[in-house]
Amino acid sequence: MEYKYVGKSYIRPDAISKVTGKAMYLDDIRLPGMLHAAILRPTYAHAKILSIDTSEAEKCPGVVKVVTGEGCTFHYGDNIRDLVPMADKKVHYIGEPVAAVVADTPKHAKEALAKIQVTYDPLPVYIDARQAMSEDAVIIHEDMGQYWTLPTLAVVPGTNIANVYKVRKGRAADGFDDAEVVLEGEFNYPFGSCAAIEPHGSIVWFKEDRTIEVWSSSICPFIVRDDLATSYGVPAADVRVHIPDIGGCFGYKSDITVEQTIAWIASFVPGRPVKWVSSREEDFTSTLIGHGIRTQMKIGAKKDGKLVALQVKVLHSTGAYADTGVNVTMAATHNSTGPYEFEHCDLTGYTVYTNTTPVGAFRGYGHQEVHLAIERMIDMLARKLNMDPFALRSKNYLREGSVNALGEHMWKFNGDVATAAAKVQDLVFGHDKPKEDDTYFYGRGFAAVMKSPKGAPFSTKGCYMKMNTDGSININMGGAEVGQGLRTVVRQIAAEALKIAPEKVRVYTELDTQFSPYEWQTIGSMFTMQGGRAIVRAADKMIALLKNTAAQVLKTDPDYLEYDGEFIYLTADPFIRVPVTELARGYITENGITIGDLAQSVSDARLPRYASPDKNGQGPLGVTYTFGAQGAEIRIEKKSGKILVDHFASVFDVGQVINPLQIRGSVLGGVNIGIGAALYEEVIFDEEGRITNPQYFQYHVPTYKEMPRQTIEFLETPDPIGAFGARGIGEHSVLGPAPAILNAIYDATGIEFCEIPVTPDKMKKALEALKEYA
Amino acid sequence: MAEKFSFTINGQSRSVEVEPDTLLIDVIRDVLDLTGTKRGCDNATCGTCTVIVNGRALKSCNTAITKVAGAEILTVEGLAKGMELHPVQKAIAESGAVQCGFCTPGIVMELVAMLDTKPNASEQELSNALNKHLCRCTGYEPIRDGALIAQKVVQDLAAEHA
Repeated sequence: MEYKYVGKSYIRPDAISKVTGKAMYLDDIRLPGMLHAAILRPTYAHAKILSIDTSEAEKCPGVVKVVTGEGCTFHYGDNIRDLVPMADKKVHYIGEPVAAVVADTPKHAKEALAKIQVTYDPLPVYIDARQAMSEDAVIIHEDMGQYWTLPTLAVVPGTNIANVYKVRKGRAADGFDDAEVVLEGEFNYPFGSCAAIEPHGSIVWFKEDRTIEVWSSSICPFIVRDDLATSYGVPAADVRVHIPDIGGCFGYKSDITVEQTIAWIASFVPGRPVKWVSSREEDFTSTLIGHGIRTQMKIGAKKDGKLVALQVKVLHSTGAYADTGVNVTMAATHNSTGPYEFEHCDLTGYTVYTNTTPVGAFRGYGHQEVHLAIERMIDMLARKLNMDPFALRSKNYLREGSVNALGEHMWKFNGDVATAAAKVQDLVFGHDKPKEDDTYFYGRGFAAVMKSPKGAPFSTKGCYMKMNTDGSININMGGAEVGQGLRTVVRQIAAEALKIAPEKVRVYTELDTQFSPYEWQTIGSMFTMQGGRAIVRAADKMIALLKNTAAQVLKTDPDYLEYDGEFIYLTADPFIRVPVTELARGYITENGITIGDLAQSVSDARLPRYASPDKNGQGPLGVTYTFGAQGAEIRIEKKSGKILVDHFASVFDVGQVINPLQIRGSVLGGVNIGIGAALYEEVIFDEEGRITNPQYFQYHVPTYKEMPRQTIEFLETPDPIGAFGARGIGEHSVLGPAPAILNAIYDATGIEFCEIPVTPDKMKKALEALKEYA
Repeated sequence: MAEKFSFTINGQSRSVEVEPDTLLIDVIRDVLDLTGTKRGCDNATCGTCTVIVNGRALKSCNTAITKVAGAEILTVEGLAKGMELHPVQKAIAESGAVQCGFCTPGIVMELVAMLDTKPNASEQELSNALNKHLCRCTGYEPIRDGALIAQKVVQDLAAEHA
């Protein structure tokens, strides 16, 4: 649809401050009297702490305080309250805080760390869910049965299973009775790191007036606020959390990550702000990592390609704490159908404690991980059925009239995966593939994708706006700008809703729980859709308010009035009008008496009819789905096994493009992250639970020269929930690269990879094995 | 023992008293409060700490302060002339090359160093320079677009002055 401001590219409101170096990130904040913390990490990934001797560290230059976890009486967490701010008596993973030094400078704090003596009694280490689920496994959380959890979760006390999530649709596993062909496979999406260029950091200040002030590189100021208030027994209103600019998130700065640890440390030096910024190594070992998902999948189909039944077991190596990982397991499980309809579903997700860094969101909650399974399996099934893989897919896409695994009906407005797929098919398979030559194999691969945003009963986004006497607008919201460009989106949606030029809309910069409207957290590709809805609602309220004032001025009823951005006027005679600038602070009448309210409004938007799942996991997520398709054209260098992505195509049905430049940028970057996962990236733990590659020169994120040529297109089937029809897109571009590239590897070589990353070494070995076999 | 080091930074002469093993990034950020230069890793991999020393792009996180005694240093804060942005800043801001912005200062400085010394740098030379920087947001394409726009502007300006 044609809009005036929506659908056009505008420069980001924060672009200038970012190119001039004036954007303020966490590490750029300096406060009077600020102290610096350094944190000691254990030498074992799983061990009892026998003793900690801090006496030598306390004597070091500049040291103000040495802190341990002794005496901490609370656990925290929003889903499973299994977290502690600092280890006491036991360490569960290699990145856990064991002790900390607070000193006048970061250097002094780090130097003193080396003087802390800790003795450990090592315990067995489990890296993988399958080890931790074995019957004789040592229990990682002995007190698991006592942890508070959300009522929808099911812990299995006496095991290492933090939650079992089940989705049952139709006749579940019995549905395989109807199948004529059955295919099974197992796929692994190993640990990865969001690896944003800005490392995590926090500043916490326990003040003498018993308030707590926090600055953090987090996207969840209200969760941080509420958690700290609960842990320290103060009113939430007395905890003030600021969020400065954030240098990339991709998931691992959501929920609560490092803030409770820094608060615990700072609570020992009340009156002084304490700053901690992670080293790159700590960003890998001690914040949140991603993935760790093994998917066992069984598909039942008719001979004609009609999909009948799906059985999935998601084995999630969630790490030492499951609070953030449990949602990843759950969304992975219910999204494991991909964009297909199965009459019978038997999907189970196991959230399993392991002695690894806790897993959190990573551009989605397990969505990309299970797409590796379903989109490889569909290609394999097509071969087994001797069917064209596009025809097989097209027969089974979720479309108007179908019902997904959660029992939600699909409508036309949920989007058009079939058209997206046809476009990608044309872009990637519409021309001849180069013939194998002396140097390269060539291959092409495809993946169709679906992702639901991540909902919750209390998910809401607030918006406050005010009109100034010159007609300019200030908008304040609680959405965290991590680079995704939401400030531009806010500006454009507000401009459209208020019918004024975007240049007249000034969007908030930092977040501050003292001033910012409430927002649950900025996650799940929901800001444009849900936040956009909040803006439209606030704009409608403000326009109604202007009309009420104008009705008194023009001596008529508000419903006879129209608004055009500049004037409120009488519908029947537009010459009878009053400028909005004269209404912004109420209308001042001739004799100085002012009538009407200030032109300001507040609104929010939650998810329409989100419901907690029933015992079969059935229940609406209350939000819409975004469908799309992606395809890769690759080359494999025979000599080295190196895989080069020459062209990558993505088509998504986003409902409505708000900003063409930004949405392309979002997909470009997401595809790059997906390619990184498929070909290069893995956080590697050795048998002792130590990360062997916690640096950028060891953990390879894609570089400039590795970027493929990308074709990116959008379909616009308007969504009824999102503002002006827009749907979420932030996380979707990472869904297809791994399966599309692995499908392309098969196309090129006939080699069936079920695990990523496919590094040159692995590729070369597989090629050599192929040669020997032939 | 702290020693005194003098240099010019963003056109101003400055002296600092620091230990000789102090890194340039720490002097820039913590002594001189020029926080536009960012720290993204600790071993010269990500490139966001890049500044210009005597006309050359240099990673400040592995450069000891002893190496820059007497040098001319330029940081991202020294580029704009009042309200007027450097062509590289303007191009990078407008091409979509900025998302989270944390890699941006390093990339801007890399391109400024390249285009100031070699306005006709080949695409290969630009590519070699940009390959020293990690960006997790943009997929690099808009950075390339910004670099090429900036190069055009720099070349046109040079032609005007010629």
